[in-house]
Amino acid sequence: MKKMKSYIKPSSFLIFIALAIFVALVPAVNQGYSMMILNLGLIYSIATYGLSVMLGLGGQLSFAAVSFMGLGAYFTANLCSGRLGFWVDTSLTLVLVLIISTVVAFLIGMILFRLSGTYFTFGTIGLVQVTWSFYLSYKPLFGGPDGISNVATLRIFGWSPVDYNQWFYVLVVIVLIVAILVERIRRSQLGRSLSAIRDNEIAAQTLGINVYMTKVIAFTIAGVLAALAGSLYAMHSQFVSSDMFTFERATSYIIMAMLGGVNNTFGVFVGSVLVTMLPEWLRGMQRYLQLIYGVGVILLMVFMPMGLAGLAGNFGKSIKRKLRSAAVKNAPAEKEDAK
Amino acid sequence: MNINTIVSLAVNGISMGMIYALMAMGLILLIRAIGVMNFAQGDLLMFGAFITCWLTVDLKLPLWAMIPLSIVCFVVVGIIFMFTAYWPLRNASYPAATVISTMGAAMALKEIATLIWGSLPRSMPPLMKNPATGKVAVLKIGSITIQWQFILTIIVGSVFIYLVFVLFDKLYAGRMMQAAAQDKYAAELLGIPTILTTMATYVIVVALASTGGYMIAPIFMVSNTLGTLQLRAFAGVVIGGFGNIKGAILGSLLIGVVEAFSTIQFSQYKDAVVFLVLIVFLLVRPQGLFGEKIADKA
Amino acid sequence: MNPILRLDKVCKRFGGVIAADDVTFSVMPGEIHGLIGPNGAGKSTLMNLISGIYIPDSGSIFLDEKDISNVPSHMRARMGIGRTFQTPRFLQRSSIRDNLLLGTDLANQMGYLKSYFGKKGSNFEEELDRLMKYLDFTFDWEEDINGLAYGQRKQLEIVRSMLTHPKIMLVDEPAAGLNNKEIDDVMALLNFAAKQFGIGVLLIEHSMDMIMNICEDIVVICFGKVIAMGGPSKISCDEAVIEAYLGRDLDASNS
Repeated sequence: MKKMKSYIKPSSFLIFIALAIFVALVPAVNQGYSMMILNLGLIYSIATYGLSVMLGLGGQLSFAAVSFMGLGAYFTANLCSGRLGFWVDTSLTLVLVLIISTVVAFLIGMILFRLSGTYFTFGTIGLVQVTWSFYLSYKPLFGGPDGISNVATLRIFGWSPVDYNQWFYVLVVIVLIVAILVERIRRSQLGRSLSAIRDNEIAAQTLGINVYMTKVIAFTIAGVLAALAGSLYAMHSQFVSSDMFTFERATSYIIMAMLGGVNNTFGVFVGSVLVTMLPEWLRGMQRYLQLIYGVGVILLMVFMPMGLAGLAGNFGKSIKRKLRSAAVKNAPAEKEDAK
Repeated sequence: MNINTIVSLAVNGISMGMIYALMAMGLILLIRAIGVMNFAQGDLLMFGAFITCWLTVDLKLPLWAMIPLSIVCFVVVGIIFMFTAYWPLRNASYPAATVISTMGAAMALKEIATLIWGSLPRSMPPLMKNPATGKVAVLKIGSITIQWQFILTIIVGSVFIYLVFVLFDKLYAGRMMQAAAQDKYAAELLGIPTILTTMATYVIVVALASTGGYMIAPIFMVSNTLGTLQLRAFAGVVIGGFGNIKGAILGSLLIGVVEAFSTIQFSQYKDAVVFLVLIVFLLVRPQGLFGEKIADKA
Repeated sequence: MNPILRLDKVCKRFGGVIAADDVTFSVMPGEIHGLIGPNGAGKSTLMNLISGIYIPDSGSIFLDEKDISNVPSHMRARMGIGRTFQTPRFLQRSSIRDNLLLGTDLANQMGYLKSYFGKKGSNFEEELDRLMKYLDFTFDWEEDINGLAYGQRKQLEIVRSMLTHPKIMLVDEPAAGLNNKEIDDVMALLNFAAKQFGIGVLLIEHSMDMIMNICEDIVVICFGKVIAMGGPSKISCDEAVIEAYLGRDLDASNS
């Protein structure tokens, strides 16, 4: 019986190197506008990580990410723009966002998970529409169709990023922390329990998993991450308006998750960045953008439902197989030599 | 609030509800017959609106020419839609894959419409004009004024609903389609051409949604944002009881009426009202008006 | 000594179908107890009632003399009811390791937070090695569960259940789909569980070989009613049982 190996897999090493190169090169190549877009991709990936916990691990399709992003964004915008007559420090606001979103997400999760399966998904659609309607129209809290501007930028220990490049470094650190958090979940009991719920709810119960509470916990985690993303968005773009939180935007997060591979921590990051950068790279083809995007999604589902990570994984497996069969061919010859 | 307002809101609500019901029926058909949740339903309605607008306004075709031509268009669109968004995925192992590909199809449809017909919203003349004044035709009963086209929508919607029921309950073709849905393999063994039944289902769904688009075009402008109406249809499906056609229709009508009456007080927030109703329904009676609780065989 | 599992006049109906009719029997710790009956008799339903997927309409279920009739399913699992299914239910896109760890998770019951921070519970590898000695195949942890043959997955489900340190195991048709050698292995494993760990085993099976060889006590169900109880020799002679179910097979093994 093979002993459990706890070495670092070659793929993790590759990822680490790729990341290092990415962080080193990117600021040299990008500036200003394109850096801003990349930053947005990083911000969105935080929300997508939350989604990957719900959808990838737990198998529950939820559109609620945008509702919570709005929560984080508007909360931040209200506290950090002086529009309510007072200013709150942005770092403190971030902490408050985390606390409040935990409570709200937990409560909403407790309510929504009285529904199961597709009913739950429709419940999240309902939630998105309700929150969007308020975000769009309720001027006192959400600025109405004009949104809220003049949001202060992030300030930690007296330091603020002065341009998008500096924001980039801040975001990379945050995304890395989130990614490690999510990967850790994947490998711990929570991740396994969610996967059990995804694949077989009844069997999960007989394995002692409290299905309802586990789902609620996953929803809370997703909500908090989305709210964090929303808060960072508000500070980065210094402007919040309701068209960031529509049903259509919710579908784009799902696509980000699926593109990279909803069950692969690195893949989620890649997917989010790619989807966000795509409109920029296809600048010239503005007219056909949505069409390419739409067709691309269909092709993605047909050929690579496990996303880029799935593709890479299959590729890795087929290489492993080839190596193994080569090793087997060599083994008998070695025995001969030993004699 | 006078009787005129109440009646006209009610008629308005039911007629919008009819349009949602047409989409909802399509949704249920696809769920029951194919097992797909179609997030492109609203964009099919949008596309249908554009097609009929093009035939009516651009080509200035009279009604007797427009109807058969639009049916031809619907068939074409239905077949193309099926072969691109569904057929390659029919054996997919990842269940969310079909759903997500419909999201992609929705985007593609929006863009295609924009490419063909431009991005400016277009207006369509009312379905029924007063020949004397050239304006919208109205029915007057005492002090109550109702636009004829709303009534027409209700009538047409009811006719279509009836036709679909007849198809599935009475005709052999309908039974074939249901068989193909429930057990494709067995149906094929019985000689049922599943590819044809699938195509037929998609064509019907597109026709239903597109007719809804045609009816709604004079009321709203024809633009590529019409697709968002599908969310109302989803709400109707859920309220009615998942998988139940009668329920979906009643649920959609209910949504239409709720939406209409919410404009009295909460005009800006009618989305919130409609979907709060949905959420409350889900919590209080998740199986919907007519659904049954289905227990899993453990 | 108290029975580890006791059913007392349990009744359950689904609409017009009576799935369980006044069922009463008990399983002692360390005993392998057979549950047999013709198809559709209500055996799997009883399993579901015991593991909490269904709630009885009337009557009670006792685990170690604690009334669990209204305890939710996941709590019963945590109290020590282990379960395998007719068709193995595993995580589809996960490695074998993750699948089996689900079992250890239940044994440890340390909660999500502690697990997140890396607290280690029972010695997974050691236990697994010991259990796998009874079975005749090996595997690579990291392999996808779907890479294993059906028979191997069935055996692995029993292993996973044992990893949960149950007080009683509900085993549903373990022999179906297994070849003779594998059936022998499973019998050895179940015996090991019962005798070494004092785990009670409630065994649904159609393979009379297995039942007669391994069970100390058997309860026979037909149309939801208990029609006979007793040891293998008593059951094989019982008129009602033969009439309902056994027939030719048993005559062959008797002579």
